Amino acid sequence: MNDMRIVERDVETNKVKIAARNVQVYYGTTHAIKDVSVEIEDKTVTAFIGPSGCGKSTFLRCINRMNDTIDVCRVTGDILIDDYDIYDPKVDPVQLRAKVGMVFQKPNPFPKSIYDNVAYGPRIHGLAKNKADLDDIVEKSLRRGAIWDEVKDRLQSPGTGLSGGQQQRLCIARAVATEPEVLLMDEPCSALDPIATAQVEELIDELRTNYSVVIVTHSMQQAARVSQKTAFFHLGNLVEYGETGTIFTNPVDPRTESYITGRIG
Amino acid sequence: MTDASMSPESVAPKSGLATIDARTRKRNAAEKRFRLYGMAAIGVGLLFLVFLFSSILRSGLPAFTQTVLDIEFVLTSEQFDTAESKMMKTGEYQNIFVAALQEQLEASGLEVAFDAKAIERIVGKPGGTIRSFFLENPDRIGTPVSFELAASSRVDGYLNGRVTRDTIVDSRFLMTTDLDLVDALRDAGIIHGAFTWNFITGTDSGVDNPGGAGLGASVIGSFFMMLVVLFLSLPIGVAASIYLEEFAPKNRWTDLIEVNISNLAAVPSIVFGILGLAVFIQFAGMPQSAPLVGGLVLTLMTLPTIIISTRASLAAVPPSIRDAALGVGASKMQSVFHHVLPLAMPGILTGTIIGLAQALGETAPLLLIGMVGFVAREYPEGFISGFTDANSAMPAQIYTWASRADPGFYEKAWGGIIILLLFLITMNAIAVVLRRRFERRW
Repeated sequence: MNDMRIVERDVETNKVKIAARNVQVYYGTTHAIKDVSVEIEDKTVTAFIGPSGCGKSTFLRCINRMNDTIDVCRVTGDILIDDYDIYDPKVDPVQLRAKVGMVFQKPNPFPKSIYDNVAYGPRIHGLAKNKADLDDIVEKSLRRGAIWDEVKDRLQSPGTGLSGGQQQRLCIARAVATEPEVLLMDEPCSALDPIATAQVEELIDELRTNYSVVIVTHSMQQAARVSQKTAFFHLGNLVEYGETGTIFTNPVDPRTESYITGRIG
Repeated sequence: MTDASMSPESVAPKSGLATIDARTRKRNAAEKRFRLYGMAAIGVGLLFLVFLFSSILRSGLPAFTQTVLDIEFVLTSEQFDTAESKMMKTGEYQNIFVAALQEQLEASGLEVAFDAKAIERIVGKPGGTIRSFFLENPDRIGTPVSFELAASSRVDGYLNGRVTRDTIVDSRFLMTTDLDLVDALRDAGIIHGAFTWNFITGTDSGVDNPGGAGLGASVIGSFFMMLVVLFLSLPIGVAASIYLEEFAPKNRWTDLIEVNISNLAAVPSIVFGILGLAVFIQFAGMPQSAPLVGGLVLTLMTLPTIIISTRASLAAVPPSIRDAALGVGASKMQSVFHHVLPLAMPGILTGTIIGLAQALGETAPLLLIGMVGFVAREYPEGFISGFTDANSAMPAQIYTWASRADPGFYEKAWGGIIILLLFLITMNAIAVVLRRRFERRW
């Protein structure tokens, strides 16, 4: 039966986009991520679930080296994107972050116009040759962020004046404007109401056709709705990783079962 | 008894919402009392402020006025020719002037006996002024011309109430008998106070001429000092704060630097003065009393203020903005200069202006680098010499005046304080406006 259900979910196996091997993260003396190895596929939504403080956000931030900005944070092990180690000293984290976009928990548009919010990334990376090019990129990104129709008449008004859900979609548009290959989302819906959440979830599903999406979420329902693969983290360990259907219906590890049935976390 | 005390009736009766029990009453009373304390404190503060301002204005406003002897008379061409043919030309003009004065007094029905010497004590020797006027404007001969002649500072003081008949001592400056004449002139409306620009635009005079003293040169001195402070402390302060706040690793060294910056802000300003004397003047050989040196010393003093306020406003920019910038692939520097710094700018500017205002009013360091003793008689000649020529500064000038013997300078010192306060209030107002205008919410 279970096999049947997985087939029903129409999961095809894509090539591996991100491969993490024996990743350890330390915050000072705290061992935050303990020996995590995981293979994240291309054109797939992968959800990281787990109780608060289990390390899922920390691990997510390792994938675009946002943890580099924290002084006491130390990462060991390998994380490979397209078989290339992103912690190689030759890799410039700035370039990496253009390739691995990120959407944060709280919508954080720049206090600038909607246009400038989206155009900022392409500008600093020199993706547009001229103004018309930039206009195209902005429009395309806002369309991908499923917010174009709402803001096309007021591109010059401040991004901070939008509603929470619109702001978050603007942030997604901003993240896709630099043509990333991977999109990391750190609880993108936790500050949104159910309607905005539904819009963003729909958007995530659409984004799957172009990107490898990794989403951290507190809501198991959300993980079940949007993801094809799910990883369950607990106390810094990657407890279980597999097809979302399997994780939610037939978990192997008793801890996973306890969590999804609401006994822990 | 025990039973009775245990019975339900003896327990405190359940009060309704409308009845206030003792406990609540006590709390309410305490609250009311505290509110009264607060209002009393503010009242006392306001009272002091009103007292301060009224005394400053009362003592300082006379500095902006100058007692003048306002007289209109006709010089006939015969009188002109006669006077020009005399040996003592200006003396002759003076005689004509005295005669005109006499005539006007008599016309007002006031009879006072006076001699030319008394006139000299009151308005100096007006002959020269009159003569040069008619030499330059010969067409005015024969027409009524009104002259405004500045009265001596003693007369000024007498009319302002600084000098009274009881306190005056006969001297070559003013005799008690002259006061009768002054009274008569005042009653005739010939002598009165008039607003004078000289106090604002003029330069400092010698120790015995408070009437001619002006703050102008020292305003310029302060201006050049503030230029030095602005162009040194703003870039250095902002660069230091950005580095410390955004780039520097958090370790023992940066902690040490931070503690020292905070401590520097609390170092008495005279210490900076003596440091400036030792380093800039004695060691580096820079000119004494120069606005350049004053500016350097004040820069040292202002830097901690600017660094502390800049760091506070950088820290107030939410980290989510930095994350957002880094998240789209901006480098650390791009995220700081494109996003964090513009958002922190109003705070930085406010801090800078307040730092400048503080520096503008600082006297103690200037004391030690020789700006206080210097009598700023002349404006600097050019832009460069504005920095290097010896000059005074507003607070130093006020200090100098306050320490001079002639009571006329006392009033000038208060007047200087009014101008200094006007500058400070303007600067603080600009800071407030900037903060309001650019305040962002996110």
